[in-house]
Amino acid sequence: MEFNIIKLNKVNFFYGQVRALTDISMKFEKNKVTALIGPSGCGKSTLLRLLNRMNDLIDGTRVEGEIIFENKNIYAPDVDPVEIRRKIGMVFQKPNPFPKTIYNNISYGPKLTGIGFEDRDALVERSLKQAVLWDEVKDILNKSAMNLSGGQQQRLCIARALAMKPDVLLMDEPTSALDPISTAKIEELIDELKKDYTIIIVTHNMQQAARISDETAFFYLGNMIEYNKTDKIFTNPDVKQTEDYITGRFG
Amino acid sequence: MTRQAKEIIIKYIFFVFSLVSVVVLGLIVFSLFREGLPVFGKVSLKDFIFGMEWYPTYDPPSFGIFPLIVGSFIVTLIAILIAVPLGVLTAIYISEIAPQNIKAILKSVIELLAGLPSVVLGFFGMVIVAPWLQETFDLPTGLNIINASVILAIMAIPTISSISEDALYAVPQEFKEASYALGATKYETIARVILPAALSGISTAVMLGMARAIGETMVVLMVAGGAAAIPESLFDSVRPMPASIAAEMGETPFRSLHYQALFAIGIVLFCLTLTFNLIADYVSHKFRQVGSGTL
Repeated sequence: MEFNIIKLNKVNFFYGQVRALTDISMKFEKNKVTALIGPSGCGKSTLLRLLNRMNDLIDGTRVEGEIIFENKNIYAPDVDPVEIRRKIGMVFQKPNPFPKTIYNNISYGPKLTGIGFEDRDALVERSLKQAVLWDEVKDILNKSAMNLSGGQQQRLCIARALAMKPDVLLMDEPTSALDPISTAKIEELIDELKKDYTIIIVTHNMQQAARISDETAFFYLGNMIEYNKTDKIFTNPDVKQTEDYITGRFG
Repeated sequence: MTRQAKEIIIKYIFFVFSLVSVVVLGLIVFSLFREGLPVFGKVSLKDFIFGMEWYPTYDPPSFGIFPLIVGSFIVTLIAILIAVPLGVLTAIYISEIAPQNIKAILKSVIELLAGLPSVVLGFFGMVIVAPWLQETFDLPTGLNIINASVILAIMAIPTISSISEDALYAVPQEFKEASYALGATKYETIARVILPAALSGISTAVMLGMARAIGETMVVLMVAGGAAAIPESLFDSVRPMPASIAAEMGETPFRSLHYQALFAIGIVLFCLTLTFNLIADYVSHKFRQVGSGTL
């Protein structure tokens, strides 16, 4: 059964006077991994941050069009961005654990929503297990997260996002600051997570997009050039520009 | 001249200049101790620090500075109790909440406050705050602990606010984004992520604010009232250490016992501010976070 979890209708986005995204209309399928690719400055990260209203934090930005999530435009005036961010989690490019203990990093989000204290230990364990970090940190839960390696920190950030039990997980180049082994672990993890979550990932790494995603969208200069099954995009793209980018002729 | 020789010469010029300031400071400390220490030949250290009576011009004189120490501490403590919430909350407002234009105005107002000469603030305390206190609370004098504390707090706010602000700015943007992305509101983010991450910097600000307040002379000279006795209420007058030195130094014969006692008070003050600075330094290193959270 196919089901669209997020739908974009003619979305335009402006930083001040500068238009960063032009007339983007697309649908994200539930329990799939969708990769957003394209050269730097093409708007793919901007699009990702639009999906959980993180761009609200930047002054002087403006959105046109609608983004439908759970039958509601998340940019409707009566929508609380805080609610959206609790359902649509995010993992950033640079691992950014809080300078707190590992345990408190995971329980940070659930504490905000007021999940009972007795549930919390179980939730921390479950989230860390989901992020395949439990075995490495189960004895040091009360140590600072800053002592972990970069790859561990990034999995911690994924676990932290999962602790909110989101519907969608946005990932903004989650492996670009990591070594190949950590990258491989995160990619395995993404494959595992798509059973339960919808994942939208921005990546600069073409092989990574080909390896882990079901759908791929190619962006260029704020326009969506092509959006299709990943196999199709990487073997037989419809648009010449896509082919040029994928084969490394520009980018 | 070769390029290398020039580099070497420049290096030594800078070295000499930095040496000059260090040496001058060292000599000041040296003379402070040279002038002050002899008093302990006549008065024991215990009697000096814990003596309850400061009657330097009586016959025989009595040099107990405990009331002065109490005066300094109580005025500083209350000033800090007033200045810390105001300074820190101002810093939070400026760095995290205020829109750009209000931020600019507030920052320059605080800088202006820092630039006010202490004698002007003291004058304000004398002619405006003191009569008001006296009338409102029906006191014998408005020159008292509360008055001095309020004026000192006004002086300490810019120090506390601007150093706290720097600490808040140094909290990496990534922490804030992580918090927002987990569905935290702005206030939850400030209280649970930004403030804890900036805590060492804010503690430093508080310690430096205290050092500033305890060493401040003109304000306490003008508005603390000058009574060298242990105060019984917040409306009593006190004689903090710097006020005593400033008020009496002009009257004492050179190298008399009184003169040496005033220098010894200077030594006590020096040790106190040094302690505050060392604590500030220690706190900012001890609680410094490692990793990308380094301040």
